[in-house]
Amino acid sequence: MNAYAKYFVKKLFWYLVTLVIAVSLNFFLPRMIEGNPVAMIVSQMTKGMTDSDTIKRVYETFIQEFGVDKPLWQQFLIYVQNLFTGNLGTSFGLYPKKVTDILASAVPWTIGLQLPAILVGWILGNVLGAVAAYKKGVFDKVIFPVALFVNSIPFFTLAIIMLYVFALTLGWFPLSGGYDFQMIPQLSFEFIGSVIRHHTLPFLSIVLVTIGGQAIGMREMSIYELNADYVLYSKLLGIRDSRISRYVFRNAMLPQITGLALSIGTMVGGSLICEIVFSYPGIGTWLFTAIRQLDYPLISGCTLLIALSVLLANFTIDIIYGFIDPRIKASQMEDQ
Amino acid sequence: MTTNILEVSGLKTYYKTRLKEKVFAVDGVDFVLEEGKTLGIAGESGCGKSTLALSLMGFYFPPLHYGSGSIQIHGRDIMKLSKEQLRTQISGREIAYIPQAAMNALNPTLRIIRFIEDIMKEHRPELTKKQVWDMAVERFETLNLSPKVLRSYPNELSGGMKQRTVIAISTILNPKVLIADEPTSALDVTSQKAVIKLMKDLLDKQFIRSLVFITHELPLLYHVTDDIMVMYAGEIVERGTAEQMIFDPLHPYTKKLMGSIIVPEEGMKGHKLAAIPGTPPNLKHVPAGCRFAERCSYAQDQCRENNVAVKEVDGRQYRCHFDTGTLKEWYANEQS
Repeated sequence: MNAYAKYFVKKLFWYLVTLVIAVSLNFFLPRMIEGNPVAMIVSQMTKGMTDSDTIKRVYETFIQEFGVDKPLWQQFLIYVQNLFTGNLGTSFGLYPKKVTDILASAVPWTIGLQLPAILVGWILGNVLGAVAAYKKGVFDKVIFPVALFVNSIPFFTLAIIMLYVFALTLGWFPLSGGYDFQMIPQLSFEFIGSVIRHHTLPFLSIVLVTIGGQAIGMREMSIYELNADYVLYSKLLGIRDSRISRYVFRNAMLPQITGLALSIGTMVGGSLICEIVFSYPGIGTWLFTAIRQLDYPLISGCTLLIALSVLLANFTIDIIYGFIDPRIKASQMEDQ
Repeated sequence: MTTNILEVSGLKTYYKTRLKEKVFAVDGVDFVLEEGKTLGIAGESGCGKSTLALSLMGFYFPPLHYGSGSIQIHGRDIMKLSKEQLRTQISGREIAYIPQAAMNALNPTLRIIRFIEDIMKEHRPELTKKQVWDMAVERFETLNLSPKVLRSYPNELSGGMKQRTVIAISTILNPKVLIADEPTSALDVTSQKAVIKLMKDLLDKQFIRSLVFITHELPLLYHVTDDIMVMYAGEIVERGTAEQMIFDPLHPYTKKLMGSIIVPEEGMKGHKLAAIPGTPPNLKHVPAGCRFAERCSYAQDQCRENNVAVKEVDGRQYRCHFDTGTLKEWYANEQS
């Protein structure tokens, strides 16, 4: 087995260990929250009922149905067993909907919101950062403080300000949701138009924040690389500026690629706050609802999905990086 | 009849500080380098050696700026050329440079051969990749460097190897003049020896015609170069053959400089080492008189009041108020 294969297997092993720990935490942590989910659900369902016997029977049925009467370790074993068959259990709050179905309906919204926003923000941010570093002067003096300012606004503040100004005051965009709720999801122009209108504000808020962060990072990296000795040396050997810029920006991009891969990985868990503020029907909003209702299976399902995608993204970066950057490959080999 | 390969006259270059002050680090330098000759430039840190080396390349990067004077290569003033002409006709082809920190002079994410290909794309675009490869292998083999280096990334090479690789790359277009700025200062003695041997090889095989070797290690110059030039505070204070400069210095600064080092030659036994008290003057406030007067033990009133031009005596040049007889008498008295 060559050094790289060894490295690969070793990494894979550690990621699996991490996954096992994550799965256990996903299961136990929500169940440590104070409160009784069944009581909450039953009290809602039995509103207006007066017969305490009936209420008691409903309560007991649910306890059995959800399996919360068994000891915790037994519940855990059932949970793990179900995991292997791809069954994440039944939601408490939306009984009898399956957690997998809820997640499947939420994931497209989250990805549809996040992926374009992250990509657009990342590309614009990097271009702005690189240009600011290269051009210097007035352009840099304007771009840098603006990026710093945008990046320093806490995200929820930015989202709420945008919501207040563009949706509430100016009324240009709808206040909440993924589409007008009286519509039936279908492939019509009207429906797509509605989706786009609801999409704009959360999209722009994520793009803005991403641009700020990326532009600052790229500017710093580019300035560092532009001052590197190899730039001067290459110039003195008569290499044209455009080619040297390519060296510089390729090298400056390397850490930015990690950043992109990481944000795509964490995308599913996503911008919880953004989805909550705009009541966008993605994973974030569901997780928030689930926590409020102590919907254990749904919380575990959401967090498992997030943990999986973060681990997968990190693993992919670790593996791919060796091919892009010879320095990292060398240090990977030395680890052995 | 030898021809002058490099002729520098009245060269002034300065650094612009943040407060827009001009600090002349090279202040009116004149010298001539004949074809086939090697010239060493010595002096303390901060005397303008490295700035002079960089200035000779004709490219100026802020904060370094060109003041006045001419740099002629084979009678052609490179300061009169446009940047594009300089890049395509001079840099790397007529005059090449080895930076002080060759360790970082190579782009870390580019294989050596790719960098050589990029140089060739600028200067010999008619060559195919295969031809460039063959040419590079031949050159590396001639210089006793393993062609394996060509396929390596810079981080895979040792410090000494990197330095020699940089030298081989700098000279791949057979430049007439090679400017080496402290090429040995960051290396251990064994690697230093290898670098020196490489430089001599380049001269013997006529890959380069002349060498300007900048260092603060005088004994090294004695073995490598024909002539030595000593710089102090941005000016040349003395020039002569290596023999004259080491064993029979004229200028008090050269005298002190030679007194502060060990030259492993006969007749040097029992020689006491003496440091030169004080530091070179701050070039922001250049003294009106001789720039060395402050630290010179022979200084008199006229030294502090008026500066003095370079005098030429018996083919030697020095910058001092006193004639050679007086100086030699003083030195003789001091010895006894």
